Amino acid sequence: MDASTIVCKCEEINIAEIELAIKSGANTFDDIKRLTRCGMGPCQAKICTNLVRQIISESLEVPLSEIRPPRLRMPLKPTRISALVGNEVSSSVISVFSESAPQEDDENHG
Amino acid sequence: METDLLIIGGGPAGLHAAYVAASNGIKTIVVDESFSLGGQLRQQTQRLTNLPKQFDSQIGITLMQTLVERLTDLDVTILSKHTMIGTYKDGRIGVSNGQRTIPISAEKVIVTTGAAEEAFVFPGWTLPGVMTIGAAQIVMNREHVIPGKNAIIIGSNDFALEVGKQLIENGVSLQGVIENEDQLIGCKEETIQFLKEAGVPIYQNSYVTQASGAGEVEKVIINHNGSEKEMEIDLVCIGKGLTPILEPFEILSCDFAYEKDLGGWLPQYSTLMETSTASIYVAGNAAGITNLGAILLTAEIAAISVAESLGRQCKEEATEKRELLWQELYHLESADSKAKFHGRIKLMREFQDNVDIQLSKLFNMSVGGV
Repeated sequence: MDASTIVCKCEEINIAEIELAIKSGANTFDDIKRLTRCGMGPCQAKICTNLVRQIISESLEVPLSEIRPPRLRMPLKPTRISALVGNEVSSSVISVFSESAPQEDDENHG
Repeated sequence: METDLLIIGGGPAGLHAAYVAASNGIKTIVVDESFSLGGQLRQQTQRLTNLPKQFDSQIGITLMQTLVERLTDLDVTILSKHTMIGTYKDGRIGVSNGQRTIPISAEKVIVTTGAAEEAFVFPGWTLPGVMTIGAAQIVMNREHVIPGKNAIIIGSNDFALEVGKQLIENGVSLQGVIENEDQLIGCKEETIQFLKEAGVPIYQNSYVTQASGAGEVEKVIINHNGSEKEMEIDLVCIGKGLTPILEPFEILSCDFAYEKDLGGWLPQYSTLMETSTASIYVAGNAAGITNLGAILLTAEIAAISVAESLGRQCKEEATEKRELLWQELYHLESADSKAKFHGRIKLMREFQDNVDIQLSKLFNMSVGGV
């Protein structure tokens, strides 16, 4: 197949770029991600995960069962920063990422 | 918010689990990212066979209505347009409605986030006019828009062929089913017969070399048995199957396993449908790609396990119910694919350290038949 074919639509990464990353020593999706930004766009590898796994499998002759998906992180869906901060203006930033969490009286607004 | 049970995903598995749990007096919240419940049932206009005994054979849309309406008088809170986006350090689940993030504290969680369609790469696959077969069905049956005039389908599983039939019924000219293998993947005779009578060419040993066009698909070249054929096409549907959605499980620290017959990577679980993270359960296609009957049964098993662990069902009663449900699941699933049920048993045997009576019975069933 034409090596200029796009695999990761979000970051416009093609087959040649993924194969180059593999030639440079990448053997997991996360390696390829770090080298190329493949899978780091808005969809967060929801579409390209298995496509990239397939390329790794074929290039390195490793069965698909040994190639894990990329590390998946929060937030699970694109989320506005404003939706992550607490409701009270005075509070420090409260989010799913933070050490603290909203208190009881902050919970029943929605 | 606080609840006994939080269900992530309001598709068939989530709705059925909510009904079974709430019928046992469990306070339940169902979160779904869409504005309406039902998940992928919302555009299934075909008759569903292989449903569990308690359901009459019906089309997906009416089953969705049944599953939703049953919840009316029960202690079930529906949070539609709410998406699980993560977890807090204290274990609460963060759910966002787009404006704010709401922490939900739940004793138990059942994750029923279903599956995603597999993508498929060929030069030109990013052009408008190329979509998954499920997307074509949504556009057609939910939005009432015809997705194209001259279509081809890549892949030939039963779902792809069924939607191919629906495309034809809606006036689309289906100009070919392109299958890589030397035979069709799907095996529903009725659908195959329909396509044959409609004169749809089936291209086996074939693949799409490229799709091209100015700003959208206009032309597709296929390789059929080694020779190239050019076609005027404005709709390419990719029907390459489903894979379980993994994100919520990774955030909940669940361990994964690989089972090809269940759709690839998926969370490990026990015969209780509990994952490696205590109090987190899985059901539906997220627990392995399967038919609708098995989707509903895994949901019921998970809900009964939750009821047992919350003290709403005694151990004996729960064990007996689960045994019957697993037996029914075996029959419904192996009617479609024996390999799938084998895959499930293998997954559970590798996960459960102590092989319990339930699992050994299932194992015997899967190797010996009943």
